[in-house]
Amino acid sequence: MLELFARNRVATLFVITLLTFGAIGLAAPGFLSASTLATVMANSLVLMLVSFGTMLVIITRNIDVSSGSVLGLSAAVLGLSLNAGIALPLAIGICIGVGALAGAFNGLLVAGFGVPSIVATLGTLGLYRGLMLSLTGGRWIEALPQSIKALAANLGWGGSVLTLIVLGVFLILWLFLRMTRQGGYFFATGDNREAARHLGIPVRSIVFSAFVGAGACAALAGVVFAAQIGFIPNQAGNGIELKAIAANVLGGVSLLGGVGSAVGVFISVIFLTAIDSALVFLRIPAFWNDFIAGAILLTVLVLDGRVRMAVDRRIRAKRYASHHGAERTKSPSRPSATAAPAIPTPHTAPEAGR
Amino acid sequence: MALRDGTAAQALIDVRDVWKQYGPVAVLKGVSITLAPGQIHALLGGNGAGKSTLMKAIAGLVVPNSGSIAIAGTLLDRPSAARAQRLGLYLVPQEAHIFGSQSVLENICMGLDKPAARLRGRVEALVAQLAVSLDLDAQAATLEIADRQIVEILRGLIREARALILDEPTSALTPHEVEALFARMRALAASGVGIFFISHKLREIREICHDISVLRDGAIVLSGPMSAHTDAEIVTAMTRVAAPVAVDLSTAPAAAPAPGSERRLEVERLSGEGFSEVSFSLAAGEIVGLAGVVGAGRTELAETIFGLRPTLSGAVRLGGAPLENRSPSVCIDRGLVYLPEDRQQFGLFLDAPLDWNASAYLMHKMPFFLRPRDEARRFERFRSAMGIKCESHLQPARRLSGGNQQKVLLAKCLAADPQVLILDEPTRGVDVAARNDIYALIRSLAAQGVAILLISSDFDEIVQLSDRVLVMAFGALEGELPRGASVDAIGGLAFGAREAADA
Repeated sequence: MLELFARNRVATLFVITLLTFGAIGLAAPGFLSASTLATVMANSLVLMLVSFGTMLVIITRNIDVSSGSVLGLSAAVLGLSLNAGIALPLAIGICIGVGALAGAFNGLLVAGFGVPSIVATLGTLGLYRGLMLSLTGGRWIEALPQSIKALAANLGWGGSVLTLIVLGVFLILWLFLRMTRQGGYFFATGDNREAARHLGIPVRSIVFSAFVGAGACAALAGVVFAAQIGFIPNQAGNGIELKAIAANVLGGVSLLGGVGSAVGVFISVIFLTAIDSALVFLRIPAFWNDFIAGAILLTVLVLDGRVRMAVDRRIRAKRYASHHGAERTKSPSRPSATAAPAIPTPHTAPEAGR
Repeated sequence: MALRDGTAAQALIDVRDVWKQYGPVAVLKGVSITLAPGQIHALLGGNGAGKSTLMKAIAGLVVPNSGSIAIAGTLLDRPSAARAQRLGLYLVPQEAHIFGSQSVLENICMGLDKPAARLRGRVEALVAQLAVSLDLDAQAATLEIADRQIVEILRGLIREARALILDEPTSALTPHEVEALFARMRALAASGVGIFFISHKLREIREICHDISVLRDGAIVLSGPMSAHTDAEIVTAMTRVAAPVAVDLSTAPAAAPAPGSERRLEVERLSGEGFSEVSFSLAAGEIVGLAGVVGAGRTELAETIFGLRPTLSGAVRLGGAPLENRSPSVCIDRGLVYLPEDRQQFGLFLDAPLDWNASAYLMHKMPFFLRPRDEARRFERFRSAMGIKCESHLQPARRLSGGNQQKVLLAKCLAADPQVLILDEPTRGVDVAARNDIYALIRSLAAQGVAILLISSDFDEIVQLSDRVLVMAFGALEGELPRGASVDAIGGLAFGAREAADA
C-alpha cells in the first residue's frame, strides 16, 4: 500500500483530495453538493490551463514564469479586438495566436539562443506585461460583448462551454504525452538531454514547441478569464505562473524534468481550488487562503518525500538481504548463455535460486 | 546527397580528409578512414588523440570544419544524429546515456518509430542472444554501470544498424559478457554489418578485429590488417616512444620492495550491503589486489570501509586503532582515502577548475579565506609529477580526456596524504600510455609505504601490480592468492561459484 503511493504520486494526491473533500464536508455540511463541485470546477479552469502549459515546459526540464503575462497580454488583445468589433471566433483565434507567438519568442530565446529558461522567461514576464499595458494604455478593458460572456454560461449540468474546452485540452494533452512518439520525446529531452540528442531526438525543436504550447495554453486561459470575469483588469494573470508551478510540483511533475502527467496536474489544480472554496464555506477570512495553500503544499511534499525515502530504504534492504541469509548458498547471480530464455533480474536471481 | 563513385559506394563509412578545430586547437588533422561491410575495424589512440571526436563526427554529433563523411554511399552533408541513424549508423558511447525515470525497455526503444511495448519480443530475443540478465521493466536509474552499457549496446542492435561504432564497450562488462558480446559482433559482421571497435585492451582487439587504425594527435599514424602489426609496433605508434620501453605489457610483476610488517588497515568480519563476513588486512607498502566480477560486492565493501554505506557488523582498524562511526571525513582525516569507480558521477567536480578538484579532499582543513595560489601550486606539483595534459589549472575538469581526468582524481586522493589508499578500477577507460603512468604511480606510492587496495575487473592488471590477490565472489571473500598467481587462477576463484552452480 505504502509502495503504491510512493511509486504513484497521482494516486496519493487523488486519495488526499478525496479525504480533504470528506473532511471539509463533515466540518461544513452543504459543502459536498453538486453546486459546490461545479463552482470548484469553474474556478479551476484558468489555473488548469496555465498549469498544463507550464507542465509541458517543466517536463523538458525548463521553466516558464512568463505565463501570467502571456495570459494578460493575450486577454488584452482579445478584449481590444472584440471591442473593435471583430467577431468572437476570429478574436479568439488572434488571441491564441498572440499567446503562441509569445511562447515562440520564449522558445527562441531558450532553444535558439541558449538562454537559461528561468532568465529568459523572467525577462519576458516583464516584457509581455509592459506590452499589454502599452496596448491598453493602462486602462481596464470593460464592457466586453455578451457573446464572450455567454461562453461561461451554465449548460444545465454545472459546466459551461469553457469546461468542455478545458476537458478537451486535458484529454488531448494526456493522449499526446502518454500515447505518441513525440510525447515520449518531451520526457526524454527533460530526463537526459544529451542522451536524447544522441538518439536523434530533435531536442531543440521539442523545447521550442513546449514553449509554444505553454503560450497557447496561457492565451486560452486568457479567453476563459475574460469570459468568466467579463472585463480585463491590468493585472490579469498576475502571479498565476507561480501557482501553476506549485500545482505542477504538487501534481508530481518533477522540476528536474522527465516526469509528470496531465492527470496529476488535473487533480492537483482541483485540490488547490477546492481548498480556496472550502475556506469560504468554513468562514475563514480570505486573507488566510495563500497561507493555508502554502502550508498544505509543503506538508504534502514533505510527507511524500518521507514515504519515498522509506520505500527506497526497504527496497535497498531487500536487494541486499540475499547476502545475509542463513548459509551462503552459491546461486548464479547472472545466468549463463544456456540459461538464457528466463531472464531474472540480477537482484532477484539469488532468491529465486534458493 | 549524391552517390559517390563506385569504390566509395562499397564502403559503409567513408571519411575523407576531415578536419575539426576547436578554437586554435586542431583535434582532427585530415583524417581519412573507411569501414567495409563485414569488417571489424579497431581504432586505437591515446587519450585526447581524437578518437571520440572522429566517431562523433561520423555519428553526426560533431560538425567537421572540412572534409567529407559518407555513410553507405550517402554524403552526410548536413550532419545530425537523426540523419546518421537513418543512414544506418549507431554509436554506442563510452559513457552510457540513460533516461533515469523511464523503464529499461523504454530506454532501449526511445527514438524508434514503433512503441516500446510492440518491440518487447525483439528486445527480449536480443537480451537472450547477449546472454545477459536485464529486467526490462526496472527503472533505468537503478541500473549499475555494466547494465547501462548493455542498454546502449542493445540500442545499437535493435536499430539493426548497418554500421556500428562501439566506444570501449567492454570496459564495464564481465569477461563472460565480453565473450557473449564478441560472439554477437562476429555474427553481425558475418551478416555484413561493419563495426568500428574502440578499446584500450590490445588482447581484445587481437581477438575480434580484422583491421586496425591508430590515431595520434588527430592524424592516422598506423593503419592496416591486424596481423601485420605487433603489439609493440602499435603501442609505439600510439605513444611515439622510440622503443617500447616504457610499456609494460608483460604480465610479470615488477619487483616491489618487501612489504613492511606494520598493519595499516585491518578489516574484521565486516558485513554490509552486498557482502558479508569479509576479513583481511593491508600492511604498509603492500599492494593487495581485490579481484572479482562486477557485482561481486567489491565496490560495496570499499564504500562501507570508507563510511559511505552502513555497516551491518564487523570492525575496521586503521593503524591499530579502531575506526568507528566511519564517515568519509573521518576516514580522510585518519589517512584512508577512496578513489571511486565512477569518476564522472562521484569523483570529479566536472565544471570546477582542475586545481580546485585536486584540493577537494583538503576543503575542510582550509582556512576561512581560501588561498588560490596554494591550490594552483599544489596542482602544478601533481601536474608535472603525473604528466597531466591540460591547458591551465583553471580549465574545467569536464574538458579533459578520460586518462587525464583519472590522473586529476588520483592527485585529489594523494593531496590528502593517505596512509591507506583504496583504488576502485583506477584505469577504466584509460589508454595504454596513461595506464602505464598510473601503474608506475601506484608502485611508487607503495614504495613510499602507502598500503594500497586495488580493486579491478582487469585480472591482468591485478596480476601485474599486486603483492597478494584477494578474490571476491557473491559478496564473500572467495580466497587469497600469493604474488604471481595466474590470471586463470584468479578467474577460477572469481567465476568458480557460478560454474559450479551451472553444472
